[in-house]
Amino acid sequence: MLRHKAWRESRTRFLLSLLTLSALCVAFVFFEGYRGTIDGKPVTYLEYIWRLVYKGYLRELFDLIVLLMGVGGLLRERDHGTSGFTLALPVSRLRHVCARAGVGVMEVVVLAFVPALVVPTLSPLVGQVYPWFQAAQFGLLWAVGGSFLFAIGFFCSVLFAGEFIAPIAAILLLLLYSVITDFAWVERYLISVHDLMSGSESAFFQTTAAVMVGPLPWTALAVISLVVLSSFVWAGRITMRQDF
Amino acid sequence: MLLHKAWAESRTRFLIIAAALTVFCLFATFSNGRPLAGGALLLPSVHTANYSERIYDLVYSGAAKGMFAILVIFLGLGGLLRERSRRTAGFTLALPASRASILGSQLIIGYGELALLSLLPGFLIPILSRLVQQSYPFHEAIHFSALWFGCGSLIFAASFLLSVVLPGEYTAPVAGYIVLMLQVLIALWQPLRPYRLNLMWTMGEFGTMRRDANHSLLLTGPLPWTRLAVIIVIAAGFLGLSVKITQHQDF
Repeated sequence: MLRHKAWRESRTRFLLSLLTLSALCVAFVFFEGYRGTIDGKPVTYLEYIWRLVYKGYLRELFDLIVLLMGVGGLLRERDHGTSGFTLALPVSRLRHVCARAGVGVMEVVVLAFVPALVVPTLSPLVGQVYPWFQAAQFGLLWAVGGSFLFAIGFFCSVLFAGEFIAPIAAILLLLLYSVITDFAWVERYLISVHDLMSGSESAFFQTTAAVMVGPLPWTALAVISLVVLSSFVWAGRITMRQDF
Repeated sequence: MLLHKAWAESRTRFLIIAAALTVFCLFATFSNGRPLAGGALLLPSVHTANYSERIYDLVYSGAAKGMFAILVIFLGLGGLLRERSRRTAGFTLALPASRASILGSQLIIGYGELALLSLLPGFLIPILSRLVQQSYPFHEAIHFSALWFGCGSLIFAASFLLSVVLPGEYTAPVAGYIVLMLQVLIALWQPLRPYRLNLMWTMGEFGTMRRDANHSLLLTGPLPWTRLAVIIVIAAGFLGLSVKITQHQDF
């Protein structure tokens, strides 16, 4: 029931995002003939897909979409005057938070694998090939990285009441994180989720050929997953103490 | 009264965005104005030669421009659909004012806030540059303020229209961001590139900047008046459509 409620509250955003990501992947595949050159050299299909989908525009779109998918929750219900009804349900506040977090993460995972399904499936139709395994690896990177960004939006929605304050705060927090992880002396200690999701400046991905060359950074993925889980638990504990 | 209502509803968003832009301008000037010991910059990834180029890369062409464009989407959220979900639409519509004037007050306040946000870097960057013994031409900063206001007005208008037609609390900003990204992607399509339809390019004067004779300043050209006029006409069209739709909606 709680999961169904969380799904009903987020499904419009999710379906709109799913449609957009799918449509853009289809467009990128079918317009591959316009990929042109970089520095006078023709761009390969793998590089073209990497630049448009996994490094550039589609990833940036995905980042902000999953961030905005995280907002909502009981503080917004308080502003709408419905939190009393929700809290009167015979379940703990922690379960409310877990249900919303669980549904949200599932939606992020589905969105993360959209390029992994669409691009390799449609590439043969334009006479190209995109490796399924590489697409699946990027899907996993996006699922974990996207969960982190979702958790930022989720956490801000637990902290900040007021209309649209939570999403604005989440966007500013993401910007701050992006700027800080860009410092050379920070890069060694703080994982940049953007680089992880794109494979840029990483040992497992060769940008010149746009191919995976090594194992995925399982330690980094585990650390990020732990941070995401901790943030949900922390959000639950904050919600348990809030006054609605 | 309607103006005060519109201000009360949007002031928190406006103040947070203004604070964020101010902090970013402070960061841009103070991190680039004085190199660290050894001549290194706080952000060595910004590989540019002089102060005006670094400010351009960080503020007018970079992260601040992107942040401004995204946050204007939230500034533009208005209309009466949100009040319907909060069950306050009845009270608002019972006021002795037409729906057009209710929306008009939101637009006046919204555009006023947009103008102030656009002017904020225009004044802060030249003033703060003096504090770090650098200089940034005031007329260049105001040039970008005009571009940010012009292009921002279209983003604002599109966001307003989406918030008038799309119910659901966060559907309109998600749709607004998708539309912004789609506009950028469509404008990048090879056959359309020569027409420079990319709004973000116009805001950042992408590809039109030049150096002065001493190679010490990065300068803009004349304002693209025709392009700005077309943008404002399109924005006005979106706003007119928003008012028309609201007048026929059932609350």
